[in-house]
Amino acid sequence: MNLHKLSSRLCPTVSKFRHLHIQSSGQQLEAVAVETESTEPNPLSVFRTSEQNPTYHSERHTGQYYTLPPAHIQKLFPHGLPPRFQLQIKTFNEGCVMVRPPVLELISYLKKADYSKPPLRYILYGDIGTGKSMSLSHALHYCYTQGWLIVHIPDAHLWVKNCKELLPSSSRPSRFDQPIQASQWLKNFKITNEGFLSKIKTTQQYVWTKRESTEKGQPLGVLVDQGVNRMKSSSDVVGAVLRELRLQAGGTTEGEGAFKLAVAVDGVNALWGKTSLKKEDRTMVCWCKPEELTLIHNLRKMMKNNWSGGAILTALSQTGSLFKPQSAYLPSELLGEEGFDNMEPFVPVSVSNYNEKEFESCYLYYLERNWLQHPHSRSEEGKKELIFLSNKNPSILERLCAFL
Amino acid sequence: MAASVRHLLKPWTPSLCFARWSRYNPYYLDPDPSKDAPDSELSPEQKELQELKTVRPIKAALSSDTSSTFNDPLISKFINMMMQDGNKILARGIMTQTLETIKRKQVEIYHRSPAAKRLEIECNPYTIFQKALENCKPIIGLASVQKGGKSYQVPVPLTDNRRRFLAMKWLITECRDNKHRRTHMYEKLSQELLAAFANEGNVVKRKHDLHKMAEANRAYAHYRWW
Repeated sequence: MNLHKLSSRLCPTVSKFRHLHIQSSGQQLEAVAVETESTEPNPLSVFRTSEQNPTYHSERHTGQYYTLPPAHIQKLFPHGLPPRFQLQIKTFNEGCVMVRPPVLELISYLKKADYSKPPLRYILYGDIGTGKSMSLSHALHYCYTQGWLIVHIPDAHLWVKNCKELLPSSSRPSRFDQPIQASQWLKNFKITNEGFLSKIKTTQQYVWTKRESTEKGQPLGVLVDQGVNRMKSSSDVVGAVLRELRLQAGGTTEGEGAFKLAVAVDGVNALWGKTSLKKEDRTMVCWCKPEELTLIHNLRKMMKNNWSGGAILTALSQTGSLFKPQSAYLPSELLGEEGFDNMEPFVPVSVSNYNEKEFESCYLYYLERNWLQHPHSRSEEGKKELIFLSNKNPSILERLCAFL
Repeated sequence: MAASVRHLLKPWTPSLCFARWSRYNPYYLDPDPSKDAPDSELSPEQKELQELKTVRPIKAALSSDTSSTFNDPLISKFINMMMQDGNKILARGIMTQTLETIKRKQVEIYHRSPAAKRLEIECNPYTIFQKALENCKPIIGLASVQKGGKSYQVPVPLTDNRRRFLAMKWLITECRDNKHRRTHMYEKLSQELLAAFANEGNVVKRKHDLHKMAEANRAYAHYRWW
C-alpha cells in the first residue's frame, strides 16, 4: 500500500539525516540541558518529537508535533483550547501541537525579558485560520511549566455578545454585570491556579453587601469562592482578583509570595470594539459600550503596563469579532484607533500559513493517526489537490481532511 | 430499437435547449470529468473509446461534477436527493459533516481499542456509506397491478437504479421523520448509516418488511406480464 512505500522511502533518508545531525552538532548536545532525541528508533517519527517541555523547544523542532501531557490539558486548559482542537484531542486520544517559528520567537522573548520592569505586550496577528490561538496555547503551556500564574481569557468576544443575563452593577450605577460569564471564568481560574490560591493574600478589605465582606489578609481562594458561590457579585470579584494579582505580581513582598503573572487574552480586539448587547434606558434601547461592562473595564486595566513581574500575551481574532470585515487582520484594522493607542507599545508576532515542511509534517501526522481515509488522499495527486484547495492554511486543511 | 433510431438521427440539438431536461439524442455520449490516462496505459478497447470521444458529440457536464480525484457519483446522487429548494450548499455541507462524524466515531473507537481488535474496525466513511447503502437496497419490490376490478400488490424485480433510489429515499425519510426533533441531520444520518452498516436499524428493518410482503404475495407473481 502507499503507506508502506512512503515509510520505506522515508527510512533511509531519516537515518542519513540523523547521523549527519548528531555528527555536526556534537558540541551542541552537551550544551543543551536535557537531550532525549538521540535515542529515537522509530523511523516514522520525522514529524514527532519526544520533547514534551516547551522550554527546550528550539529551531530543531520546527514542524514537529509534541504531545501535551493529559494532566496539563485538564488543569491548564479547562476552557482554553479552540473547539475543533478539543474535538481532535477526543478523537485521536492525544493532544499534539506543532512547534512553529512564531511561538519559538515568542518563547525566546519570554525567556530573555526583564521581569522587574513593566510587562511587555505581545500581539499575535495573522490571517484567519493560521494558528494564532494554538500558538497562544503553546506559549501558555511554556508559562505553566515554568510555574507562572495564568490568567487566561479564552475568547474575549464571548463577553461582549450573546449574554443572556445583563444585570446593572451593584457597586457602580452606570455599569453592567455579567454574572454567568464571570462565575464560569472564576471556576476555570480556580482549576488552573489551585496551587497559588492559598499562598496569595488580599491586601484590603472588600465589602460585597451589608452582611458579606472579605477581610484583609485572607487567601485568594476565599475571594474566588465568594465569586463562584454568589453570582450577583461575581463580576466585581473578578475585578478584585485581577487587582490583587497586579499588585502582588512583582514579588515585592516576602520571597514566598514571588510569582510571575501571565495574562493571556484571545480576541483582544473585543475590548475596544462594539458590543451586541442592548441596555434599556427609560425611553429607548441603545447598544452597550464596552466600557460600561464591568468585566471589560477591569480587563482593560489589566492590559495597561503600570504593574511589573509578568507578561501580557494576546492574540487578535476576526472570526468572533463584531462589525469588522472579513479581510481585516492587521492590528491597526482590528484594534481600531482607541485599541491601538491603548496597546501601544507592543511586540507584534506574525503567524502565517504552513510552509512545505510544516505541511508535510501535518500530512504525515494525519496519515499516522489514521485520519486520511479516502484512498486518493494518500496518493501524490490527492496531496497536490489538498495543497491547492487549502493553500496550506492550517484550519482549512483540517476541515478538508475531516471528511476525506 | 434504439440502434435503428441512432442510425437515422444524426448529431442534432434542438434549436430551443431546455436546460432542465436531459432528453438528449442517444447519439450523445456521457461526459467523463476524470483526467485522461496517458496513451501507453490504455488497452486497445480503451483506445477505441478515446477515438470515439474525439468524434462524437458529448452531453454538457453537470456543474457539480469535478475533475478532482475525490469526485464520487454515489455521494453526488445522495446529496442531490437530500437537497431541498435547490440549496445544494446546505446539502453538501450536511453530507461532509455526516462523513466527518462517522469517521470521528470510528477513529475514536480505533484509537481506544487494543491492537488485536484494530484490524476489524472500519474507519473509511466512504466504504461505510457504500456498504450501508448496499445493506439497505431491496432485492425485490412490489408493484400495484389491477386485475378484475381489484388491485393486487405483485412482487416484481427492480432495476439497479430503482433499488439505489429506494435505499437512499428510505434513509433520508427515516432521518427526517422518525428521529428526535432537536438533533442535527448529520448526527441522525451518521447514526442510521452506522446501524445499516451493521445490518441493524429501521431502514434495514423496512427492507426486510418489504421482502416479507413480497414473499407473502408470491401467489400473485403471475399477474406480472413484463
